[in-house]
Amino acid sequence: MTPIIELHEVNKTYSTAAGDFVALKDVNLEINAGEFVGIVGKSGAGKSTLLNMINGVDQLTSGEVFVQTDGKKLSVHEMSEDGRAMWRGKNMGVVYQSFQLLPMLTLVENIMLPMDLSDNFNPRKSKERALELLQLVELEEHANKLPAFISGGQQQRVAIARALANDSPILVADEPTGSLDSVTADHIFDVFEHLVSEQGKTIIMVTHDAGLVSRFSRSLVIADGELVDSQPESNLDKIFLRRK
Amino acid sequence: MNKTALRTRRKADSAQVADFAPESMIELRGLVKRFSNAAGEFTVLKGVDLTINRGEFVSIVGKSGSGKSTLLNMITGIDHPTEGQVVVNATDIYTGVTESQRSKWRGKNLGIVFQFFQLLPMLTLLENVMLPMDYVDLYDFDQRPARAMELLTLVGLEKFANKLPVLVSTGQQQLAAIARAMACDPPLLVADEPTGNLDTRSADKIIQLFEGFVAQGKTIVMVTHDPSLTSRTNRNIIISDGELINETVSRSLPQLRHRHMLEFTRIVEERFYQPNETIISRDQHVDQFFMIRKGQVEVVLLDEKNKEYIVSRLNPGEFFGEIELLRGDTSIANVRAGSNPVEVLTLPRTDFLRVLQESPITAEALGKVVQQRLDEQRIADRRSAIR
Repeated sequence: MTPIIELHEVNKTYSTAAGDFVALKDVNLEINAGEFVGIVGKSGAGKSTLLNMINGVDQLTSGEVFVQTDGKKLSVHEMSEDGRAMWRGKNMGVVYQSFQLLPMLTLVENIMLPMDLSDNFNPRKSKERALELLQLVELEEHANKLPAFISGGQQQRVAIARALANDSPILVADEPTGSLDSVTADHIFDVFEHLVSEQGKTIIMVTHDAGLVSRFSRSLVIADGELVDSQPESNLDKIFLRRK
Repeated sequence: MNKTALRTRRKADSAQVADFAPESMIELRGLVKRFSNAAGEFTVLKGVDLTINRGEFVSIVGKSGSGKSTLLNMITGIDHPTEGQVVVNATDIYTGVTESQRSKWRGKNLGIVFQFFQLLPMLTLLENVMLPMDYVDLYDFDQRPARAMELLTLVGLEKFANKLPVLVSTGQQQLAAIARAMACDPPLLVADEPTGNLDTRSADKIIQLFEGFVAQGKTIVMVTHDPSLTSRTNRNIIISDGELINETVSRSLPQLRHRHMLEFTRIVEERFYQPNETIISRDQHVDQFFMIRKGQVEVVLLDEKNKEYIVSRLNPGEFFGEIELLRGDTSIANVRAGSNPVEVLTLPRTDFLRVLQESPITAEALGKVVQQRLDEQRIADRRSAIR
């Protein structure tokens, strides 16, 4: 089976006034289609940087990232800026900790936005699809409300629905449950698990919460810019104990 | 991009033109908002009247649950009032207006900034700023990138125009959200805790920007908890338990607790005086506390030759009568209206003294004012004696 995502010797160094800072060091990684992968580690370990390398949001210093796209192996960082934005719009849904719903649009309009922008669906189809996605996250009854009238957890579910708008095979999420209570966070995980098991999506999620690792199909532990070991328990304890 | 689709969906007739004073940007009249839930009915706004003029920079302050977010949602046309009228920029936004007309109206008239910036993660900062122009279909398609770039330059982000939001700091994200709010050049900017999760330097940069917008004639209404921001606005409106605090009360006695301010708001009486009209005569028994709403008040003593001597001039937001109330005494000076008409609010002595007992911090602040005024008086008395 060909991995859907491959990272080869990925390095990322930031230059700061205080000197160079190595955010990622020789990262090699393969992720298969249909995996629900958690990237865990303490703050500053390089989790978000790793995610930004995979979705091509940030530039790498050296190495290569490949993503299987329409049956072809594409090198993410060799595309032009515009090409990468187009590619990302179709192939990767993104969810962040803060919800980024537009306050003046209803929930259904918020979900239609990426479809309008990418021109993937005609307007009638995009509304239908947006309503289906709202149903998936169990918010169809609120379709015509503005974001201000639903809870934070509900807003995050809408953001997930929006990330799925273009039916991208891969979903990347950076601390999507970071500002939610545990019951609401649980509900978000249920949605993710459903997407993996029922729709075959590949999900990569960054979290600093070690308590969540049992729900991933695989956890990657990152410390000081290096992938430590993807075998859980013993190493996890080490990483998280060190934080305390 | 599928622009046509966006345009047709947003097309709507222009909303109604309301009866309004041309200088006012926002007029709220008898605004009531009630919510019903399992626990019963809950009144969040209890008959709010408010006028905000064009070019004002207004902060709205209130504790959590006081009704300030609901108030803001009424102004932005996001929520519906149970009773009353909301007129914003000459449009009665709830009477005979459909949701889609209101949405269209909002796009052209309002910029909205929230604490959690709603930038779209998959668009660059430049594209995020262009988004409202696409929605409202304002500016030629070809002009939009240049206008968005101008706005990003204004907020100091021109270098980051082509970056995605995740690659800039939270302060920069908020600046981009402000640039986006101003995309369609709205006359009114509404901001809900815009500096809530930013460091002091970023917060300061945002307030400077707001001050710049106000200097250009924009009206800004900002909800905030931060006293360092309210001190930089022209006007500070306090909401407590669904009612607005009388602004003369909050300006005159800023140390009071909100519930005391609200109590005073409910019992104050208005008094009007013609230019030079006497408000209190010397040796008159004083049983009211006076707060100046409008005009200038002169405190006058007579010297030994019965010649008038103005000890001090008091302006709106200042008060008088406190020395006599605190000492249970007759007036030590003549107090009269200056050369313009004067409006004052008065409080009965018993209520004033009771609240002072409950609010030591106000009593202390008043004590300092009394001390200072007595000192001024003694100096004035000495001066008049020398003459």
